[in-house]
Amino acid sequence: MENPIIKVESITKNFKGLKAVSDVSFEIRSGAITGMIGPNGAGKSTTFNMICGYYPPSNGKIFYKGEEITHKHPYEYTNMGIARTFQIMKPLGNLPVVDNVVPSAYFGRYGAKSLKEAREIALDVLNFTGLYEKRKVLAKDMGTPDQKRLEMARALATKPEMLFLDEVMAGLNPAETESAIELIRKINDSGVTIFLIEHIMKAVVSLCEHVIVLHHGEKISEGTPEEVMNDPYVMEVYLGKKGENNA
Amino acid sequence: MKTSTLTPYAIRKRIAIVLLLTILAVIPLFLSRQPYVMNVFILIFYTSTMSMAWNLLGGMTGQNSLGHAAYMGLGAYVAALFVTKAGLNPWLSMLLSMLIVGGLAGIVFYPCFLLKGPYFTLVSIAFGETIRQFVINWDFAGKATGISLPFGAESFLEFRFMSKAPYYYIGLIMIIGVYLLMRKISKSKFGFALRTIREDEDVASAIGIKPMKYKVYALIVSSMIAAMVGSFYAYYNRYIDPDLMLQSYSVEFVLPAIVGGAAFVEGPLVGGAILITLSEFLRNEFGAILPGINLILYAVVLLVVIRFRPVGLLGWFSESKLKKMIDVKILKKSEKDEEV
Ligand SMILES: Nc1ncnc2c1ncn2[C@@H]1O[C@H](COP(=O)(O)OP(=O)(O)OP(=O)(O)O)[C@@H](O)[C@H]1O
Ligand SMILES: [Mg+2]
Repeated sequence: MENPIIKVESITKNFKGLKAVSDVSFEIRSGAITGMIGPNGAGKSTTFNMICGYYPPSNGKIFYKGEEITHKHPYEYTNMGIARTFQIMKPLGNLPVVDNVVPSAYFGRYGAKSLKEAREIALDVLNFTGLYEKRKVLAKDMGTPDQKRLEMARALATKPEMLFLDEVMAGLNPAETESAIELIRKINDSGVTIFLIEHIMKAVVSLCEHVIVLHHGEKISEGTPEEVMNDPYVMEVYLGKKGENNA
Repeated sequence: MKTSTLTPYAIRKRIAIVLLLTILAVIPLFLSRQPYVMNVFILIFYTSTMSMAWNLLGGMTGQNSLGHAAYMGLGAYVAALFVTKAGLNPWLSMLLSMLIVGGLAGIVFYPCFLLKGPYFTLVSIAFGETIRQFVINWDFAGKATGISLPFGAESFLEFRFMSKAPYYYIGLIMIIGVYLLMRKISKSKFGFALRTIREDEDVASAIGIKPMKYKVYALIVSSMIAAMVGSFYAYYNRYIDPDLMLQSYSVEFVLPAIVGGAAFVEGPLVGGAILITLSEFLRNEFGAILPGINLILYAVVLLVVIRFRPVGLLGWFSESKLKKMIDVKILKKSEKDEEV
């Protein structure tokens, strides 16, 4: 791939005795939506967290736009133009929705200079993500779909070039999933490169141009959604011929 | 907001504030023969100011310190030592004390922020006790005997007054100044960083906030205010000893914020005014009947408030019908006043 925005070079993560991710390499094309799938516990979030600096890999290297970022701290990512969501939502529960997004406007690449400016940016993003009506609600009082949206809104308000989404559609009903897919496409259309972890195949197929499959911490396949789905090993893993998890 | 766009609500709110300030400003004129009552006011001013200092770290940042009496005590000692041993001007000493205590807290306490939750609180207690033990064993600072500040002719420059009124006004300016600062912080980028850290440090990091950095900043500001209050305390009482740093005093700075509502900038003010008035009243009315009964009654009131209003009195008030009524009937609040 020519000038990938993210390049992961054989990263491994050991948790005490457990090898959660082993020797995984891949690249993310700038401007595209890349997906990562795999059964529960495959090591998807661990891979994601290593790339986002949440914990360092035990081995291997990570590059962003050609620059090595393997040992950067998470708070250094915002300025580089990378934002993320958390699989287990982390709303700032005691604050109204708008105040969940204002800090991103201050500390992200918009670099708001005043509360007024930060609020305007936050309200814009809430509008974009369909949360404007809920702006005054305490974040902890919202349901899962809205909290998932809030995760995205908070990440977007930092004005990223590269957005990491960890299962932002888990727990949504079909209609909510549909509108989440639309939102993600809209974010991508605005020029943001996206890397997403998802269990919902329909979403992966309709959004991703490239998919990476993890299983037991190893990359077992990658390619277009179609290629991946027709890979015999992937089919085996997903259809559970050997009594594996099915997703 | 421009003056031309002031709603009736905004105007009435301003009138209420001016009224309150006027009352506070003229109180000493009526109480000049009642030093005891004046003392209660001064007590409210500096305890609430301390509670605001605590609340910046505890309420806004979520770092519950139980060592604030030590910062205040250290501030008192540094200022008193500069005045008595170096003959420096008390105002200058106050400023130096703030810088030294703020710097010391920032440097020495820095590693404690690696700890979280209750561990942080425990270390803050140990930290406070260490400072107290250090002072108790420090010859130069008078060991357990403490330090007396020189008495003499009344002088503003020397921070020395015969009557309580000047201390009252200085205390009033102190509490208002710190309140305005806290309000400013609360609405600033800094304040949003602190609240984000309080709610979730992982989120803070994920949007570009370095938690350690902002926690240390909050601690420095907080301990500088504590040092200012400590200096004021030393000049006002003209005597200090290491008991000032007892851990139990730290709790007295936490309570006003908790009872008033730690999520509110005004929490420590409301809590401070109510709790100190109450504890002084109980001490006067019941303390003589049976020693200690005032403390029991005080504890009961605290338990009731914390049990039934865990978000503090302001937390309850801001959602209450009473506030709605005051807003609508007296202050003429309208839809227009609900922005964002
Ligand atoms: N912080 C941690 N400490 C120890 N083990 C961990 C930690 N995080 C993850 N693991 C383990 O690593 C393995 C991979 O977990 P990971 O969360 O990456 O899976 P995942 O593919 O995201 O699964 P899911 O689809 O359920 O989210 C699991 O066995 C998990 O228990
Ligand atoms: Mg996961």
